[in-house]
Amino acid sequence: MIRPGLARACTAMLRRDLTLAWRRRGDIAMPVLYALIVTMLFPFALGPEDTLLQRIAGGVILVTVLLSMLLALDVLFSSDIEDGSLEQLVLAPQPLALMLGMKILAHWITTALPLIVATPLLAAMLHLPAAVIPVLLLALLLATPLLSLFGAVLVALTAGTRRSGMLLALMLLPLCVPAVIFAAGAVAAAQQGLPWLAPIVWLAAALVLAVALGPLACAAALRIALDA
Amino acid sequence: MTVAATATPLLEARALSFHRQDEPVFAPLSFQLTAGELALVEGDNGSGKTTLLRILAGLLHVGGGELLWRGQPMQRDSCAGDILFLGHQLGLKADLTPRENLQIAAGLHGRHPAKTFASVLADIGLRGYEDEPIRRLSAGQKKRAALARLLLLPATLWLLDEPYANLDRVGISLVNRLLETHTAEGGAALVTSHGAVSFHGGEPRHIRMQA
Amino acid sequence: MSNWIPLWLHKLSSPPTFYRFAGTLLPWMMALALLLGAIGLYGGLVLAPPDYQQGDAYRIIFIHVPSAWMSMFIYGVMGVSAFIALVWRIKLAEVVAMESAPIGAAFTFITLVTGSLWGKPMWGTWWTWDARLTSELVLLFLYLGVIGLYHAFEDRRQGARAAAFLAIIGIINVPIVHYSVTWWNTLHQGSTVDIFGHSKIAWDMLWPLLTVTLATKFYYAASLFRRARTDLLALESGKEWVRQIAQREGKR
Repeated sequence: MIRPGLARACTAMLRRDLTLAWRRRGDIAMPVLYALIVTMLFPFALGPEDTLLQRIAGGVILVTVLLSMLLALDVLFSSDIEDGSLEQLVLAPQPLALMLGMKILAHWITTALPLIVATPLLAAMLHLPAAVIPVLLLALLLATPLLSLFGAVLVALTAGTRRSGMLLALMLLPLCVPAVIFAAGAVAAAQQGLPWLAPIVWLAAALVLAVALGPLACAAALRIALDA
Repeated sequence: MTVAATATPLLEARALSFHRQDEPVFAPLSFQLTAGELALVEGDNGSGKTTLLRILAGLLHVGGGELLWRGQPMQRDSCAGDILFLGHQLGLKADLTPRENLQIAAGLHGRHPAKTFASVLADIGLRGYEDEPIRRLSAGQKKRAALARLLLLPATLWLLDEPYANLDRVGISLVNRLLETHTAEGGAALVTSHGAVSFHGGEPRHIRMQA
Repeated sequence: MSNWIPLWLHKLSSPPTFYRFAGTLLPWMMALALLLGAIGLYGGLVLAPPDYQQGDAYRIIFIHVPSAWMSMFIYGVMGVSAFIALVWRIKLAEVVAMESAPIGAAFTFITLVTGSLWGKPMWGTWWTWDARLTSELVLLFLYLGVIGLYHAFEDRRQGARAAAFLAIIGIINVPIVHYSVTWWNTLHQGSTVDIFGHSKIAWDMLWPLLTVTLATKFYYAASLFRRARTDLLALESGKEWVRQIAQREGKR
């Protein structure tokens, strides 16, 4: 018999989730569409003054991206639980944390990455200066995986419950406060011409920690949620 | 059979029990399963057959008593991959084809080197449906797609929850043939079923569940 | 060396023993809480002199500060018992963790309300995005998250374990939130409102404060015991000792 190595198992997992997302590629566009609509509402609500929109642009985009990701989080494990694939994954002779890490990566690629790609468009809608956009993108590149990882742990915890998106929001949003503060801080600093590296480095440090611990916590949470 | 009886049992339960909301799900259960043996788990609806299989698979925590795997207390790491579990939920992605589903399973569990995806799917009776999404298959064909894992993945112990459900006459005899080959090759299997099972590879052991 | 402490704890963690133990202590705890609360509040609201800057408005600290301490203390208790519940799967630890959450949430809520009542006369606003206030608000959300998750499960013990896990994540989160909001404040505002600027407190004000704090501790214990007893009865409803209690109560 041939036992697959870690690399093969990881690619199998990643390929599976990406293929599944590709088969339902309409769903990938939904969070982006949602973000576009929310961003579009701000000028209508606040008036089209450039200065005001510029000032709030960074924060609005960050919060919008966060909420769009929250919408997409709920389905991270739900279909796998319904069809029993998650049981098979838990029983597979592979480290569960690593496999879940691959799932989270696939989820990030299919939900957060399109949002990041759409970010320059959102920024243009709110007249964010072009010079700030690279910092915003960098902040999002670091903050969105953090949200995916936190979110995955919490979704795993709610895996054994009746579906409840509100509960997920209640649990996730307090955890997001630091990530939002640092990401928005970096953008605000760049906009004022101040050094913005420090908050970015903090985000990067948090991400390194989360990448190491998030999948482990996710695996532990999932074992608790399935044990019934 | 005599050789098998003297060897260390593959799986042994000693006064195994499980509680849900502090109510015992089934009466304490003791049994042994040696390599080359088939055990039928019998009991009425709600007698805890599925629960027992989920415990043995390692999905549920043992409530009380002992569970030994090859003579050692059962640990997830020591037996993972040596056990195949097939539950009510088949573990198939509806958007993928039987072949893709098998590829994922093989990517996680490994596979018999001698077998190919095509040959396994043909053996299980899905020739011509290899590249059809699972969602378009009938219930019986879905079941077969899940059973294909038994043929392809290497494992000593099979835990099959209602493997005959949804299958036609040909499918039922197919499962029986799978079980016969598996036990003849030194594997073991625990099978739950309501219906009578006609099994030709020797007298199966019976595990009677009482609530 | 001496292993009577773990032995005693082990014995106490059995539901019937704890039920009896808590039942005996409960009235005493409640009486102490009421007595100390009355003394402390009398000392704080009547005997203590008015503050030379804030007049009588400061007296709300006799409610506010003990609640704030309790909101964190209870989270600590919840976190520790959550850890014990997860690692050793002790039923009593699950019960203590889950029944602490609503009490802690109540104290957190009181802290936030009294804080903003106090804030209005002191710094002219109900709310400011200060690190302390924001952390307290996040703490409230964490409590609510734990309570919500616990009740989202059909199986109570499973819900307790999941919520315990969330409580532990929260313990890591609170200091991070506190730190990041402090950082955020330095970025956005020149100076933050200094809530406890005059940290030298007169003895006349200190002793009522400590007495009320002690009262809240006893109140927490009493309330926890009461809730835990009810919870244990429900969780162990099939067990012999509960049946005996039910029969005894039924005869009365």
